Amino acid sequence: MGNIKMHADQKYIEALLNNDSIVIKEIYKKFAPKVVGYIKKNSGDESKAQDIIQETLITVYRQAKEKELILTCPFDAYFFLLCKRKWLNELKKNTTKEVTINEEVVSINDESVQYVDETLVFEAKNELFKEVFDQLGKACKELLKATFTIKSMEEVASKLGQSYGYVRKKKSLCIGQLTKMVQSAPKYNKIKNLL
Amino acid sequence: MTPEEKYELFERKINDELSSNEEKTLSQIIKEDEAISEEFRIYKEWTFYLDANLNLEEQSDLENNLKKVGDSFFEKQPAKKETKVVKIPSWAYAIAASVVIILGVYTFTKNGPTYNDFASIPELSITERGNEDEIGKKAQVSFNSKNYKEAEKYLSELLKNDNSNSEYLFYLGITLVEQDKYEKASEILEKLRQGTSVYKYKAIWFEALNQLKQKNIGRCTELLKSLPEEAEDYQHAQKLLKKL
Repeated sequence: MGNIKMHADQKYIEALLNNDSIVIKEIYKKFAPKVVGYIKKNSGDESKAQDIIQETLITVYRQAKEKELILTCPFDAYFFLLCKRKWLNELKKNTTKEVTINEEVVSINDESVQYVDETLVFEAKNELFKEVFDQLGKACKELLKATFTIKSMEEVASKLGQSYGYVRKKKSLCIGQLTKMVQSAPKYNKIKNLL
Repeated sequence: MTPEEKYELFERKINDELSSNEEKTLSQIIKEDEAISEEFRIYKEWTFYLDANLNLEEQSDLENNLKKVGDSFFEKQPAKKETKVVKIPSWAYAIAASVVIILGVYTFTKNGPTYNDFASIPELSITERGNEDEIGKKAQVSFNSKNYKEAEKYLSELLKNDNSNSEYLFYLGITLVEQDKYEKASEILEKLRQGTSVYKYKAIWFEALNQLKQKNIGRCTELLKSLPEEAEDYQHAQKLLKKL
């Protein structure tokens, strides 16, 4: 990973991670108009555009937080493509009619497409994980929630009225269970090779 | 190794708690056993996922901030000169339509139809966002609360800087009809009728109502007949025609 040449636009990813208002404002100013234009041309409006932009930025943030996200290409094309895919998905969800898309010529290089694909796989994985987590038993859910929000295991143990040793062991068993559940989910096989 | 031991080993590895001997054992296992290697990978993914998703305070801080920045960004979008979107909610039309129908049935009397039977005033919702925000807001509030005199003043002011804005013109036309300033109203609605804006047909409909108000049935009929089928008020126009 040491040879990766970081693009200057990495600052936008950092801004999301640090919740840096000044740079976030810059993101909107620089990159939102193109997205708004696209969504308006394709059966949407400004308020829909605002939602899509916000959701996309959250996705980027989550990916950056969970995995390392190092941009080696401009943020512009990456962000626009992500918003576009999100909007097209939204349109497909809400309409049974065929959607006509007014395509816009954007210069897209392979690198940004690759980034977009990675983010989309990340999103698909997150969706699957969320579904799986919802199916987990109540006891495990509560224990995991406690262990990941309260950092000290001792505190978790006293909160749950259990011994420290038990909580530790149980935590690994619960995550182990989630692991098994994911592996047996049919959707997992679809994205497995992409992860 | 039992599954329990395996998961505990994973957990301790992730928390960086393994002795160097245990490290060696684990990397050996991962190297040789593909199934365990995959399990470890997913286990790790889960840890990252749970850490990010069960601990949502930071994310919700960011969400709030994005909402704030987004709101102010979208407020400050420069006004576009040509296309205006008027947000008249579709339910408002539905209500207006049913009111018209009820009134239509009710007023099928010897007195003949009147302006008030048919005029359903749309709500004004100014999408213009710029320096004139304040005046726009005032125009909107006064118009929607039927204070047409005030609304006329604010809309005229807005038109000073944007004299061909069809949205302002159309609503100004309504304020004039409402105040019985017939001629001035006709002037404006005529202008829209001859134009190509989205208010073209609405302007015909209101000009017809303007004529109805003055009991100029001939001109009113003429205008109603000129409304094409695709016009929003076509059905209303047909009903009114029948009664004239």
